[in-house]
Amino acid sequence: MRYEVTLEDRRLRVDLRHDGRFTVDDRVVAADVRETVRGRQWSITLDGESHEITVVTHDPLRLDLDGHDLRATVVDERALRANRGAAGTRSGRVELRAPMPGLLKAVHVKEGDRVAADAPLATLEAMKMENELLAPSAGRIAKVGAAVGAKVEAGAVLIVIATD
Amino acid sequence: MQRLLGEKTAARRLARDADVPVAEGTEPLRDAAAARAAANDIGYPVLLKPAGGGGGKGMRVVGRDEDFEAAWRGATGEATAAFGAPALYLERQIRNARHIEMQILADSQGKVVWLGERDCSIQRRHQKLIEESPGPGVTEDLRAKLGAAAVRIAKRAGYVNAGTVEFLVDPVGYFNFLEVNTRLQVEHPVTEMVTGLDIVALQLRIAGGEPLRFTQDEITRQGVAIECRITAEDPFAGFVPASGRVALVREPGGPGIRVDSALFSGMTVPSEYDSLLAKVIAYGSNREEAMARMRRALEEMLVAGIPTSLPFHRAALHEQAFIAGRYDTDFVAHWDPKKAPELTDGAIAAGALAAVLAMRSHGERRAASPVADPVWARAGREDALR
Repeated sequence: MRYEVTLEDRRLRVDLRHDGRFTVDDRVVAADVRETVRGRQWSITLDGESHEITVVTHDPLRLDLDGHDLRATVVDERALRANRGAAGTRSGRVELRAPMPGLLKAVHVKEGDRVAADAPLATLEAMKMENELLAPSAGRIAKVGAAVGAKVEAGAVLIVIATD
Repeated sequence: MQRLLGEKTAARRLARDADVPVAEGTEPLRDAAAARAAANDIGYPVLLKPAGGGGGKGMRVVGRDEDFEAAWRGATGEATAAFGAPALYLERQIRNARHIEMQILADSQGKVVWLGERDCSIQRRHQKLIEESPGPGVTEDLRAKLGAAAVRIAKRAGYVNAGTVEFLVDPVGYFNFLEVNTRLQVEHPVTEMVTGLDIVALQLRIAGGEPLRFTQDEITRQGVAIECRITAEDPFAGFVPASGRVALVREPGGPGIRVDSALFSGMTVPSEYDSLLAKVIAYGSNREEAMARMRRALEEMLVAGIPTSLPFHRAALHEQAFIAGRYDTDFVAHWDPKKAPELTDGAIAAGALAAVLAMRSHGERRAASPVADPVWARAGREDALR
């Protein structure tokens, strides 16, 4: 399920995927999400940093994010699709970035390959665990940015997909 | 007698009679013209204060003769609204001063003891935001002098109760009597933590006519206690008072932490009252430990839904001047609110995620499932079933 989220003047795309992972702006994000108060507060650890988000009001949506008071809006896929009809299909480049520092164990694609959304693209070993990195969207592999065996930092661009 | 000390110009006379230094100043002033003449005599900057006031209300610092009339009007208006007794007097302003106050106990048998000082220099609008005991710049010698001076004033006034004698201490260590607070003060917990005494209980015993059962020499002080007054104010907008509904509260705990608070989730903070929400007090065997515990407690504390002073307090505990214990009453004026940490991309991503979860939970309000279940994975499975 895809959502378009605004936090004050920031606009982000959040994709909640069936495997329980998600992307923010097409970047696969490794996060530990805990609901600390049912329906009202979450503790989210992302890139090794812990953030606390509390719902101040639901309607209109207002959040306390690490002490910052932010107005938020969330629009889901169906509403997005309805809006997008006129705009036509989007195309562009989407980056697969390393969600955490680690060792690039395998790359399953090469430049020019066509991939479907959620297709496994690479394996990143971090904290003695192998993490399958999936395609954030369908398209053609435009670039493989790191070699197998390389140590990569969090946020390093591993693969670029030219989307349809 | 409460009135004798509560009326400030009378208290100043009494302090002088008790051989305690008093900042150059005046009796209550008739009108703006007389006051302005007196200000020119004393020399700017001067402090304009309500004689029957307290809590910093109706106080004005006047830096120049040109500003005097406006300051007089402002202070008169504020003093009338707050105390109904708009008599104002003038005092020479001592620059780079520390606000140090001495806690005393005086029983009905005429015995007066001092418990120790508190440094309350960190103030905005002459109202305290952080207090600590002992004062980081106070020597054993100064402490004894302030204690003896406070006892002399209380004895001279025939004072009976717990009370506080306030002083301004200049950078060299000279001190001037400021005023007497004839009541229990907001910051009394820091003294309770370092002395192990229950000031409220002792105040009640004194009121019941009981004599104090310990001597000055039996009072010991151990460790360091710091208090942060968490207020409903926006520190990024000049500490303007805030009101509204508190969505969620989490108060800190743990070793050495005491919280005196009126907060609860869902409460409405009205705009009509004092902005104080909670007091967080941290005790440590030394100042480093007290500061470390306070930092942790402030990180743990959450008051969501209204602006609070928490960002200021968190930042203050990391300011070099505070860590070194070298600060004065200008600390807040020198604090740069722009130093507040910006949100990182990671925080924004986490916020976007939470916004989606919040929207979903609000829309669904489904039956309970274990909280330990990773929320995002659960949301994903729910989607898969659609």
